[in-house]
Amino acid sequence: MSGEEVLSVDDLRVSFPARNGSGANFNAVDGVSLSLARGETLGIVGESGSGKTMLALSAMGLVPKPGRITSGSITLRNRRIDDLGERDLCDLRGREIGMVFQDPMTSLNPVRRVGALLVEAIRRHNKVGKDEARCRALDALRAVGIPSPEARLRAYPHELSGGLRQRVMIALALVNHPPVIIADEPTTALDTTIQAQILGLLRERLSDAALILITHDLGVAAELCDRIAVMYYGRIVEAGSAESILSRPRHPYTAGLLAAVPNFDFGRPTLVPIPGAPPDPSTPVNGCAFQERCQRRTPICATKPLLREHTGGLVACAHPAEEETIHA
Amino acid sequence: MSFDARAVVRRIGVLAVFLLSVVTLLFFLLQLTGDPAEVMVGDSGTPEQLEQVRKQYGFDRPLAEQYVRYLVNLAQFDFGVSFANDQPAFSLVMDRVGPTLLLTFLSIIATLAIAVPLGAWLGARPDAPERIAGGIAVYIAQGVPGFVAGLLMIQLFAVHLRWLPSIGHEGVATWILPTLTLASFLAPKLTRVVAANVTEAMREDYIRTARASGAGPSGLLWRHALPNALLGATALVGAQFAFLISGAVITEVIFAWPGLGWLLVKATTTLDFPVIQAAVFVIAVLVFAVNTLTDVLFRFIDPRLRTKGI
Repeated sequence: MSGEEVLSVDDLRVSFPARNGSGANFNAVDGVSLSLARGETLGIVGESGSGKTMLALSAMGLVPKPGRITSGSITLRNRRIDDLGERDLCDLRGREIGMVFQDPMTSLNPVRRVGALLVEAIRRHNKVGKDEARCRALDALRAVGIPSPEARLRAYPHELSGGLRQRVMIALALVNHPPVIIADEPTTALDTTIQAQILGLLRERLSDAALILITHDLGVAAELCDRIAVMYYGRIVEAGSAESILSRPRHPYTAGLLAAVPNFDFGRPTLVPIPGAPPDPSTPVNGCAFQERCQRRTPICATKPLLREHTGGLVACAHPAEEETIHA
Repeated sequence: MSFDARAVVRRIGVLAVFLLSVVTLLFFLLQLTGDPAEVMVGDSGTPEQLEQVRKQYGFDRPLAEQYVRYLVNLAQFDFGVSFANDQPAFSLVMDRVGPTLLLTFLSIIATLAIAVPLGAWLGARPDAPERIAGGIAVYIAQGVPGFVAGLLMIQLFAVHLRWLPSIGHEGVATWILPTLTLASFLAPKLTRVVAANVTEAMREDYIRTARASGAGPSGLLWRHALPNALLGATALVGAQFAFLISGAVITEVIFAWPGLGWLLVKATTTLDFPVIQAAVFVIAVLVFAVNTLTDVLFRFIDPRLRTKGI
């Protein structure tokens, strides 16, 4: 890694009380460490329930109750933020770290105009008048490629198409130029052609800011990311450069995800689904969380594998694929 | 807001059907309660007097003829004269509309002034102990009948403290107790609806978005959650208007308020049918007008409905 570190997460655990009322906790995020440099794009890939969204929300100080950070630390631009109070977090959110959410229909207030949302966000963090804020809001809409921005300022979210709404969402996250942006499945709710536009926009707009892109879609991650971390059952199971993860997956789960991605390679026989389903995050697992679905499973997998260096990346597996193995 | 002529025509058609139903019901209600001529003449009347009254008011005609004449008169706002003092019933009633609307309007203002902040406070953090207690208090208040609240307030503010007059309709001071009494019908219910809507709105995705852009707790509540919560509250206030008018009947009697309700009660106890018919007719029109107004208002405050016609 190169450049100045803007965000680091160290051995983070986010716990929720178990739903069965036993008083036991389960970890939605279980010992995750990561680091993000200025201008870098990190992809966090995993299935639903892998803890990737909870990881993002904890970096925003937005872990929903009754969940809480039980151990580890989060450092944003050399300042620990995991133990900050709500007031300090409010000052940070939107200014030091911004977030783009998945569904732009439900994530934008239906009774507020686009301009009102932007102006409020601008004036929350800057001592400027209404006119100045409105100018900046216009600039923000222009910067995300929204046509006739003056008219859009007066629009309500329901009057915009899905793609425009997500552009508004991005404008809202970027309006105060935070050095770190988290995008949680920013294109999942959109048509494929719009997806490409939004991904292009994110890449273009983020020359300076660091981006964490959360997605279940390896194709989307491949499009945008310098590095990729694969999450499973609240843990990072593999991390490395996007190129090495996508071409030489070491963890059998990563290899399985890649084999399950549809593509236009007609030479490849069929999609290969990963057998079984991920364990429920609220049920305890001993050892490797992937062992039930893994073809390389041996008795040693009953011991929890640690994330360790392996052929240029990090992998948490007792039987990582060796250098020459090519995915199916 | 777009103007849709077809929607206006439809709305007027609904009004016509609604009014015809109301007046028809009123007409047959009069026939069902016995011989109106007997009521007018009273117990001491002779058969000759009875016969004369029947002729004079047309009660001796076939029912169909009476009904048609009744409709024709109504079309000219002629409900006949009051049995009590021979004044035109319609103008008697119209004199009372102003005070009733004043009372209803003031009580809606008072209701909103109480219910919106209180509901927002209760709903923002529904699990905080002091707000659970507040919610229980509102729940109990909802169970207290309005006239009990009115009598208690007279006892406290008029009799014991002597701050406010207990009856009458002259000057702002006389408005306060009737307004609060009528507000006590609706305020607890509206408080609970606002609180529930705020709690629900605070769980929405857009609240998380607002937090992610730095909004603090008060901004989240007042600028993001409450505008959504008030949509449901507006519908309730409109729907409760008819209920407020009936609440006004009791309130007007308690405070000797010269409104429609008090007139209606007096007319009913003396079986003064022209006045009853005129009063019910006017109340029906008022309720219809308010419901229409609520629909329009609803479209005004909910931008998602604004593109459709009234």
